[in-house]
Amino acid sequence: MSLAHETLASLRRRLVAKEIHPRDIIKDLLAQIDAREKTVHAFTHLDGQAALATAEKADLSLPLGGLPIALKDNLNALGDPCTCSSKILEGYRAPYDATAVARLRQAGALFLGRTNMDEFAMGSSTENSALGVTRNPWDSTRIPGGSSGGSAAAVAGRLAIAALGSDTGGSIRQPAALCGCVGLKPTYGRISRYGLVAFASSLDQIGPLTRTVEDSALLLSALAGHDPRDNTTDLRKPETFLAKPTGSVKGLRIGLPKEYFLPGMNAETEASIRSAASWFEKNGATLVEVSLPHTPAAIAVYYILATAEASANLARFDGVRYGRRAVDPKDLLDLYQRTRSEGFGPEVKRRIILGTFVLSQGYSDAFYRKAQKVRGLLRQDFESAFTKCDLLLTPTSPEPAFPLGERTQDPLKMYLADVFTISTNLAGNGAISLPCGFTKSNLPIGLQLIGPRFGEETMLGAAHAFEQAHDFWKRMPPV
Amino acid sequence: MSVPKLNVADVAGLARLSLTPDETTKFSSQLSQILAHMETLGQIGTGDVPEVVPPAQPALRKDIPTPSLTVEAALSNAPAQSNDLILVPKIVE
Amino acid sequence: MSSSGNWEAVIGLEVHVQLRTQTKMFCGCINQYGGAPNSQVCPVCLGMPGSLPAPNEEAIRRTILTGLMFGCRIANVARFDRKNYFYPDMPKNYQISQFDDPLCAGGAVGLDPFLFPKDLQETDEAKAKRSIRLTRIHLEEDVAKSFHYEERSGIDFNRAGTPLMEIVSEADLRTAGEAFAFLGSLRQVLLSGNVSDADMEKGQMRCDVNVSVRPVGQKEFGTKVELKNLNSISGVRRALVYEIARQIAAVEKGEAIQHETRRWDDEAGATFTMRTKEKAHDYRYFPEPDLLPVRTDQGLRAAAESGLPELPAALQDRLMRENGVTAYQASVLAADRILCTYYEKAALGTQHKAVVANWILNDFLATQPEPASSPVRPEFFGELADLVAGGTINSAQAKKVFAELMANPSSPKALVEKLGLAQISDASALGVYCDEAIAANPRSVEDYRAGKGNAINALKGFVMKKSQGKANPAQVDEILKAKLSA
Repeated sequence: MSLAHETLASLRRRLVAKEIHPRDIIKDLLAQIDAREKTVHAFTHLDGQAALATAEKADLSLPLGGLPIALKDNLNALGDPCTCSSKILEGYRAPYDATAVARLRQAGALFLGRTNMDEFAMGSSTENSALGVTRNPWDSTRIPGGSSGGSAAAVAGRLAIAALGSDTGGSIRQPAALCGCVGLKPTYGRISRYGLVAFASSLDQIGPLTRTVEDSALLLSALAGHDPRDNTTDLRKPETFLAKPTGSVKGLRIGLPKEYFLPGMNAETEASIRSAASWFEKNGATLVEVSLPHTPAAIAVYYILATAEASANLARFDGVRYGRRAVDPKDLLDLYQRTRSEGFGPEVKRRIILGTFVLSQGYSDAFYRKAQKVRGLLRQDFESAFTKCDLLLTPTSPEPAFPLGERTQDPLKMYLADVFTISTNLAGNGAISLPCGFTKSNLPIGLQLIGPRFGEETMLGAAHAFEQAHDFWKRMPPV
Repeated sequence: MSVPKLNVADVAGLARLSLTPDETTKFSSQLSQILAHMETLGQIGTGDVPEVVPPAQPALRKDIPTPSLTVEAALSNAPAQSNDLILVPKIVE
Repeated sequence: MSSSGNWEAVIGLEVHVQLRTQTKMFCGCINQYGGAPNSQVCPVCLGMPGSLPAPNEEAIRRTILTGLMFGCRIANVARFDRKNYFYPDMPKNYQISQFDDPLCAGGAVGLDPFLFPKDLQETDEAKAKRSIRLTRIHLEEDVAKSFHYEERSGIDFNRAGTPLMEIVSEADLRTAGEAFAFLGSLRQVLLSGNVSDADMEKGQMRCDVNVSVRPVGQKEFGTKVELKNLNSISGVRRALVYEIARQIAAVEKGEAIQHETRRWDDEAGATFTMRTKEKAHDYRYFPEPDLLPVRTDQGLRAAAESGLPELPAALQDRLMRENGVTAYQASVLAADRILCTYYEKAALGTQHKAVVANWILNDFLATQPEPASSPVRPEFFGELADLVAGGTINSAQAKKVFAELMANPSSPKALVEKLGLAQISDASALGVYCDEAIAANPRSVEDYRAGKGNAINALKGFVMKKSQGKANPAQVDEILKAKLSA
């Protein structure tokens, strides 16, 4: 069997046992890519030869020695392109490594492929990419989710063993759910954001997309920890996650937030989540109903704060120091306006305008400041829920993957797809999505476990126990 | 709070975007729909809630120099340069 | 200055001060003027995609120290904000600054009479010793430097991201002289805290001025004009003198003052319209999400307090009280830390501290304007003062010793010996000289005894000549008088 089907953990065992060489993994992945990338289009940039060359020098004594990781195309890696799937970063080559990338490098990892995304991580379907759409490996007429759709499709489609993504409102978890892989959004402050091209600074987190929870923990252990270059990273000492999984969920109190189980929700999704909840109960956990009363406000709060921050974060793309510059600008204003109008796609423009508006004079109190206050209430919701339970269990997405093109003309409807993932970014908590079933038409369904802030160990332990008791993660997509 | 009049072209100007008439029309209707949704926040009482202040922690940088980029690396992405300066159309105040 | 009788000016200043730190505000690039273009830049200060700011602890400490020196309230929790506007010298197209919660609020700057221009120091406005309130002091990042050519501009980002402190005054100033004294005082305090070199001519201190005029007694402000391109403290004064006169002349003719920004042209000695303000900028300030709030109550404030220097006003008081120097000398010393340190070392070992001040401020500075690099050790001045006071040399000899000290610096005691100057104070030796003088000048002796007191001078002159100037004049006087009245 092709090594492309294995996990980081199993490859690591075989590399250490000298059964295989890192170059074998790269070769098998390149063969898979040859066969499937045309359909899936997970990558924006691939350099197989470079990966093979670094594979020869891999140091197997390191924790991730010789293991290939795909990077979402919004992470800076020295000398590589980093397009954010935008025309505005045409020609840009990163002059530095993101801290996450540097940590993986130091742990011995190899990099193969830059993955497609919604432009500047703005979207839930990867259709907002200037570099082409990515297709769901389970059904190529459907979206892979987004914005880390390329990473999820690559991992699910066996084009990558694992990948990094970024999650601002669900951008790791929702595509993981829709593609049937494991997506972890760590607690805000757990992983350095230095070198991640910012969408919304107070919400963005880098995280792994993998086939198993064990692999997710392996990458989190390598990535987590304070970084003096990111003032918002937490100061606690590095940890090794899931070092000794018990496989048990006995005694865990699992909270089911009633606001996440709404009448009219997708029936197959609901059935799958309910049955996952029963599995926890049968295995010794207690189910408790909890309430996160401000959930209905989350989308509005999110789109105000995220777009406000984005409007400033994306101001630097002006054609002066890097990236695309409009041809023959007649003056400075023309340089700015044409560079930005030609370089950004419609969703990015829409969000910049929205974000600029909610901060503008006369409106910032009613929108930006009000949203900050409601964010405080949302955070309190989570804090009080976690006095009653150890983890929250919810669907990741209200429905399975939808068809390509279905929502591109209706941004509000697209925004509503993030309803179950957004609150955790606003509250700063960590959350994980893992496969918990399939629809009749063979589309994956994702289960979300949310932990208290910096409660990843418990969350990963429970996710691992559930995963290992089922074989959803072993199923292969048809594409 | 009532749905505010959003002058898309003005706001785009602040953000240094120039929109085509088509974009202006389309964004206007999409954004007013979105703003109408956001307006629902007005109904939530937030009188006593302080704005979110992230926890402060003393992680400040010590005043010790670290290496800069080489001039070549610093300018390697610049679309226009001359004599190690990055060029732009003339700045007039 | 402002007064054409019935009008007064209202002036507020915004002063930007470059902080003296090793590194920039948010990255480890060096904070140093004069590097090759774009050689002191990194992903952070170039605003590269994905880079994040890491705040410089020392810059924060120095800003707090500045606040403490001016008696500001120091915020327990301060925050950074983003100020949004597009400009090619600003890499991110937003500036990290402080808006709602600056590090320092309130405080005041005292106007010392000696900090007014020389020609105003005796005026009532200088003697009023007013205190000018500060609104706030906050910390932000500087922008890049632009060079302008025929069709294009070139940008050097070395200065981008260096720490910049903004000091904002209330509109308390009323005259150009006060503005001059305010900036001088500010500079003096900043130097004393080693916060900045604060040289306006080098751009280390930059000043924007808001000025309006109104009838004396009116509470409402007139329409304010902003002045830019002020490159020296005296330039600020000249610009204000001009602008206040211009505004008064205009309103007296019944013209309305335009709300505008005017540029000071130092050569022309006049201000010119730069741009009129049709629409206020919408900076869309919001809290910088990349930075946590800064807690000053967990060590930062204490660190700043421990670095508090003796402030210029306190230093002046002490020098006058303890060393007996004049108010003017005290102000000169307080204005120049290096000179003052030199003086204090010089005065340390002697009781005659005021004399040392005279030597240093009158004679020494005239020949050696840079005391720090002078080969003359400060202790020499104390020694010289002691030699005079102790009667070893007289003041005329002291001048000779001083000249030699400047030419060939070494211990004044050694110089006295080298020059063979030690004063003769031995009574019997002086008695011999005096006897000789009396014998050789019978005419003068006669005159003196006849009541012409001045006649004794000829005798003294004889003794001094005979002794090659070494005789102790006071003693000679005493001995001669005794002998003549015998």
